[in-house]
Amino acid sequence: MKGRLVILWVAVGIPLLWGVMKTLQNAMKLFH
Amino acid sequence: MTTSFLDRESTVAPPGFNRFLVPPAALAVHLSIGQAYAFSTFNLPLTKLIGITHSAPGDWDLKQVGWIFSIAIVFLGSSAAVFGRWVERVGPRKSMFTAALCFGSGFLLSAFGIHLHQLWLIYLGYGVLGGCGLGIGYISPVSTLIKWFPDRPGMATGMAIMGFGGGALIAAPLSVMLMEHFKTAASNGVLETFVTMGVIYFMYMMIGVYSVRVPAADWKPAGWVAPVQPKQLVTSANVAVDMAWRTPQFWLLWGVLCMNVSAGIGVIGQASPMIQEIFAGRVSPAVAASFVGLISLFNMAGRIFWASTSDYIGRRNTYMIFFLLGIVLYSSVPTLGHLGSIPLFVAAFCIILSMYGGGFATIPAYLRDMFGTYQVGAIHGRLLTAWSVAGVLGPVLVNYIRQYQIDNGVPKAQAYSITMYIMCGLLLIGFLCNFAMRPVKEKYHYRGSTP
Repeated sequence: MKGRLVILWVAVGIPLLWGVMKTLQNAMKLFH
Repeated sequence: MTTSFLDRESTVAPPGFNRFLVPPAALAVHLSIGQAYAFSTFNLPLTKLIGITHSAPGDWDLKQVGWIFSIAIVFLGSSAAVFGRWVERVGPRKSMFTAALCFGSGFLLSAFGIHLHQLWLIYLGYGVLGGCGLGIGYISPVSTLIKWFPDRPGMATGMAIMGFGGGALIAAPLSVMLMEHFKTAASNGVLETFVTMGVIYFMYMMIGVYSVRVPAADWKPAGWVAPVQPKQLVTSANVAVDMAWRTPQFWLLWGVLCMNVSAGIGVIGQASPMIQEIFAGRVSPAVAASFVGLISLFNMAGRIFWASTSDYIGRRNTYMIFFLLGIVLYSSVPTLGHLGSIPLFVAAFCIILSMYGGGFATIPAYLRDMFGTYQVGAIHGRLLTAWSVAGVLGPVLVNYIRQYQIDNGVPKAQAYSITMYIMCGLLLIGFLCNFAMRPVKEKYHYRGSTP
């Protein structure tokens, strides 16, 4: 059960983190 | 009668099931359908299907292409309203599967429309079919999450609805990357991107289909006891969907959502030109795009932050903050523009957009507080018609008033001042609706047995 919990959260967390990182990279231009 | 894998009976969780397995299932669906917010990345490429690098004779124009998203949003609201009761009856797995099928095949039908260069097929594919996938997918995990987290309904639904905001953050760079990858001398890569995204999103939503579970009828979180003396605006009764929309509380909540969304959505659509016009010469289009990205992040983060906060301070108080703080911030925008302070201007809009997202994410828990858990998903579906109305009202108000002022000689940098004060007016109406909220009268309560 614990393994499944980790796999599921990683499966949704990684794409979300990737999207947030990409957006933050672009947003940095605001402060330059 | 045999039970199929998709039936509600097959999804009842065994004893000892970890309830934290359910939010990622809901997130898998919401992160996928949240792609809709990033559909504009396809607008320009869709106008260059024949010319590839430029719009050629016979290519569609932006106005025609713009209808794809509008149709999808109309079908989002209407399918959530129409299929809400069905979603409650068949359970989350079958409804998530239907949503995945509609959303994935919507992309594939649209790709076929691109292949034949028939715009009506894209309207039908992404607009109608995809729109139904959006609506059904949006409401399918809501009541399940509320039942799994009776102690933290705001946090649970906030997590899922945060995914809808986050979906755009993933889809925007993903679409650009895929179009770049598939681009050739004979194609700008949109067709191939649509096919790929249709398959990816269908498979990703299947993670949710496979992992979602509903709690057993008598299940409660370990150690949790339902409050004996519930709070004034938290009911322990249930109201059926057909009765709920006859109550004043439903329409007050409809007003609360509609006003909160109208104010925010009007700004989202105009964010890029607005910051460029208010700070003319100081903000380039690229920097304005960064501003749009930043407020999208706050839109997403506000969903989990405000919905979780509402578990502690109450839903009514949370919306009071949205409306009162919103009025203060919107009315300060013209002054911040005059002062020429970009950081303060950006900060004000980041907070405004966090409350816009928070409004979406807190409403399911507010509905649960007012109408109980029985058919909360279906009631939520009907309430989403407020979103469809706000989707037209907000942008129309912002765009038309701005244009009217410019036509009457007001400088572009000052053309948003009146708009901001009108947004304050909308928030004041929302505040009054929220202020008038009282518990639902007993005559509306559901007397039958709940599943």
